[in-house]
Amino acid sequence: MTEPATDAPYIALKAVQKGFKIGAEAVPIFTALDLTIPRGDFVAIMGPSGSGKSTLLNMLAGIDSPDGGELRIGSARLDRMGEGARSSWRAHSMGIVFQFYNLLPMLTAAENVELPLLLKPLAARDRRARVEKVLDLVGLSGRGGQYPALMSGGEQQRVGIARAIVSDPALLLCDEPTGDLDRKSAGGVLEMLRFLNRKLGKTIVMVTHDPRAASCARRTLHLDKGQFLEERRAA
Amino acid sequence: MSSIFRQVRAMLRANLLGLRRRLAISVSMMLSVALVVCVLAGFLAMAAGFERTLAGTGSASVAVILGGGSNREAGSDIPAEALRGILALGGEIGVVRDTGGQLVASREVIGTTEVAAGDGAHAATLALRGMDLSGPDLRDGVALVAGRMFTPGTRELVVGLGLARQGPGGAIGGKVRLGALDWTVVGQFAAGGSAFESEVWADLDAVRAAFDRQGEVQSLRLRLAGPEAIGTLRAALGTVTATPLVVVSEAELYAGQSGRTADLIRLFGWPLALLMAVGATAGALNTMMSSVADRRVEIATLRALGFSRMAAFLATWIEASLLALIGVGIGIALSWLLFNGWQASTLGANNARMGFQLMVTGEVMAKASLLGLATGLIGGALPAIAATRLPLTAALKAGA
Ligand SMILES: Nc1ncnc2c1ncn2[C@@H]1O[C@H](COP(=O)(O)OP(=O)(O)O)[C@@H](O)[C@H]1O
Ligand SMILES: [Mg+2]
Repeated sequence: MTEPATDAPYIALKAVQKGFKIGAEAVPIFTALDLTIPRGDFVAIMGPSGSGKSTLLNMLAGIDSPDGGELRIGSARLDRMGEGARSSWRAHSMGIVFQFYNLLPMLTAAENVELPLLLKPLAARDRRARVEKVLDLVGLSGRGGQYPALMSGGEQQRVGIARAIVSDPALLLCDEPTGDLDRKSAGGVLEMLRFLNRKLGKTIVMVTHDPRAASCARRTLHLDKGQFLEERRAA
Repeated sequence: MSSIFRQVRAMLRANLLGLRRRLAISVSMMLSVALVVCVLAGFLAMAAGFERTLAGTGSASVAVILGGGSNREAGSDIPAEALRGILALGGEIGVVRDTGGQLVASREVIGTTEVAAGDGAHAATLALRGMDLSGPDLRDGVALVAGRMFTPGTRELVVGLGLARQGPGGAIGGKVRLGALDWTVVGQFAAGGSAFESEVWADLDAVRAAFDRQGEVQSLRLRLAGPEAIGTLRAALGTVTATPLVVVSEAELYAGQSGRTADLIRLFGWPLALLMAVGATAGALNTMMSSVADRRVEIATLRALGFSRMAAFLATWIEASLLALIGVGIGIALSWLLFNGWQASTLGANNARMGFQLMVTGEVMAKASLLGLATGLIGGALPAIAATRLPLTAALKAGA
């Protein structure tokens, strides 16, 4: 499971275009965005508000699709997929962590974590075993029966991470995962992500405002006016 | 167990667990469906009860002879010379004879008459039947439950229980003004809830005298040897008179009258229920649209995790159907409690009031349930589609 970072491009964007229509007006976000990310990398994406970080991440997640250009992840050409194919790609190929956790409030922590496993041909007993294992991994052993509302922000985000990794995807996408957390909780979540990258070999793309968060990544990209500005490699 | 099934089950479970957040609007949807079910069930139960009453009236072993080209008693008239011919028939004609060799028969006239209630406020239209003394015996399943039969030649009445219960002046010893004269109620009879119970019976000559119908006979009832003997009677009548006569069994006579009124009740009930169903469908649409709006972030989150559009559609649609189904359950239960066995009356056989019981039958329940369920299925379809078209990025942005 632990693979070292290689230079073979795992994620490749070529001349990706994306814009939004606001009323009759087309507002371009990206006119020609290029990006390659090798397998096992941990990339932090920073940039001012409205620069398109979430839009990029949503495209990588197959939640949004490019207007033009090429978007390849592994062997999948996401730019060519319809909604049905993308939704099954999402189910099998990536895990996503949201800024506001996006846990379903009426389900327990364990039930939330189990959700992605319902998309796989697994028996209930196997699902339970895997849920327990990832809750263990994020330091929430024995808390599976609790409802999200009774958990701290940091704990909820760890449930969110458990949900993102429970089906063992190679790619983990995080949109400001510590944006809503205090310093201490944020530290725990970042430690978690670093562990997932370093020890379990997950490829991680993380959008963040927090330089400390970015320092956990192997490299940091700065997005501004639809382009990457500079690149800083971590040691 | 396939993935789509597990997806729908998980989404539906989250929907239902979250129902508390939109309880008021969900309950109002259930109640409007229940109301539609009640209205349709009410009308259909009325039609069914009416039909059942008339279908249960009359015997197959009693023949009714009608004249004047009518197949109903109302417009019928049997000419005197034809009547004499029939009653003089000898030999085997399929009709039972008494010990004296006379045909067991009753000449009858029927009319409607207004009766003022005791309090003077209400007037009811009653079916008043004049008959020979053998008339009551020619009714199967009729029994005197109080008092005695009318005496020939007097203005005495026996009243059907259905009327006695709800109509004015049905008590024994009571005086009732019919036409220009006072009549005395001397008995009450039961007839198993059939249409007979909505009639008032009196002596033929007394009725004809009071209403100036001397010499008139509208129908002749004959006791048949058996249900199949009606063929023998028809053949025998052909030789008696050139006057065209209609011969039907008493059972056929009443059953034939139920169709039009029952259809009329349904013709009134269906459009009303459908109109309300349109309203309830709009309500279901509104409820489910607000459900989708309420679950926006949840739906988008699950979709982001890889749940399919189909799952989003089905979970919403099934939620709508379940709410409608609960409404149907409430509606059926209420209809049963309110309507089943409820005593009603309407214009019946001879344009006189006829009492009957509403019957919430299996068929009534099935039809009303289907209409109620349809409101949920139709009203829920569009919101279910909306759930699949939810813009994911916008919904996820609303995240918190
Ligand atoms: N669904 C949308 N419809 C219209 N405009 C959008 C939508 N999503 C994002 N935008 C616009 O695109 C730009 C980039 O948004 P976003 O990717 O969320 O930025 P960031 O995450 O870097 O703050 C913003 O100007 C935003 O208003
Ligand atoms: Mg953002």
